[in-house]
Amino acid sequence: MLLILAAPSRAQSSHARVELIAEQNTVVPGRPLWVGLLFQLDQGWHIYWQNPGDSGEPPKVQWQLPPGFAAGPILWPQPIRLGSGAIIDYGYEGQVLLMVPLNRTATEHGSSLPNIAADVKYIVCREMCIPGKTHLTLATPADGNWEQWRALFERTRQQLPKPMPPGWKVSAESNKTSFVLTVRDASPVRSSSFFPLEPSQIDNSSPQLFASNRAGFQLTLKKSDQLVKPISTLRGLLMVGAGRSIEVDAPVVSR
Amino acid sequence: MTKRFLIPTLSFLAVLISLSPAWAARVGEAAPEFTATDSNGNVHKLSDYKGKFVVLEWSNRGCPYTQKHYNSGNMQELQRQWTARGVIWLTVISSAPGKQGYTTGPEENAYVKQVNAAPSAVLLDPTGALGHFYDAKTTPHIFIISPQGTLIYNGAIDDTPSTDVADVGKAKNYVSAALQEATSGKAVTVPTSRPYGCSVKYAD
Repeated sequence: MLLILAAPSRAQSSHARVELIAEQNTVVPGRPLWVGLLFQLDQGWHIYWQNPGDSGEPPKVQWQLPPGFAAGPILWPQPIRLGSGAIIDYGYEGQVLLMVPLNRTATEHGSSLPNIAADVKYIVCREMCIPGKTHLTLATPADGNWEQWRALFERTRQQLPKPMPPGWKVSAESNKTSFVLTVRDASPVRSSSFFPLEPSQIDNSSPQLFASNRAGFQLTLKKSDQLVKPISTLRGLLMVGAGRSIEVDAPVVSR
Repeated sequence: MTKRFLIPTLSFLAVLISLSPAWAARVGEAAPEFTATDSNGNVHKLSDYKGKFVVLEWSNRGCPYTQKHYNSGNMQELQRQWTARGVIWLTVISSAPGKQGYTTGPEENAYVKQVNAAPSAVLLDPTGALGHFYDAKTTPHIFIISPQGTLIYNGAIDDTPSTDVADVGKAKNYVSAALQEATSGKAVTVPTSRPYGCSVKYAD
């Protein structure tokens, strides 16, 4: 019997396992097919957010899709702050699903899952870093248990950063050393921290000074040494209270 | 402000700068003075090199990003090319004892020989003092200082953050571009970029 080695749907490398999974096993007309890279990391090891912070790089994907499908961008869950002291990064530990919508550009396709593949490059780090590179095809859930994957996609979806609540007013004032991010008309919060979307804008390792009053709250964010030109918008995620993640686009005013 | 007040003010500012390393490495400002020891036990001060361009290259031989530039021969080529033109190239190792990249003088000298590197010297910074002074974040992380002692570049070695050797030839090398411009008396068009690499392995 000839043993044909198919491209793995699941890759193992040091300290990280990554699979390409789908939310369901059918394609529904008019709706995207949600797929995702499911990373499972050994304890203490991490991969990086789209802005990795001071070091590291986010995973990168190149899709191989049949005609009639186009991949949208990765939806990045709220990352955690990694590291301490002089070097602060943003990323994920444990398990993380990076979801991507596959949109249909043509209508003639049956309901069965398309043959898709992805070339994924990533770096997984703890005390040291190990690059990973793998070619993945769509996995099939163990015992045909699609419900587990569907639930994982749904849970991840709930945890994605949310748009700013209506009524919030966000702005950022730029001075010589810092951005002062102000949120007005927000209900009271006890704490907040800012995760910049773009690198080289704020200094990731500087403490963020939080202040609040009845009108809202403020974060003072020290500027990065690599920021040389003024920026017009400060974009990022605000972690508010116990775990709300809010996307903010703050117009920047100079003083 | 009269001259009488100017000198004490400058000294005060100089003290402030040396006590506040976090904002000491901004392009366009004076590069922080330092004293460091190399792999042969020789002491180097930045002021020793006034009148010359100086490149500081943070390195950790175990980091895949550093390995990309050394395995491809890219870093050694840059070192040769620019030291031949009178640039002082100082590789800096700020890994703390017990951390990846930590090395001793003789071991580092053997490594330099083995990979055919050509820095002017390798500064051993296991306490991380020099690294923190410049706020070196990654390996590699490059700083370029002008003959007048001004920081003219702070950032990545090139524009392609990956661990793939195949990317080296295709990437725009920021170090060569900055040195090419500065040595011809032109302004550096890309004075900063996001440094990419593994984190510098400072002590906990």
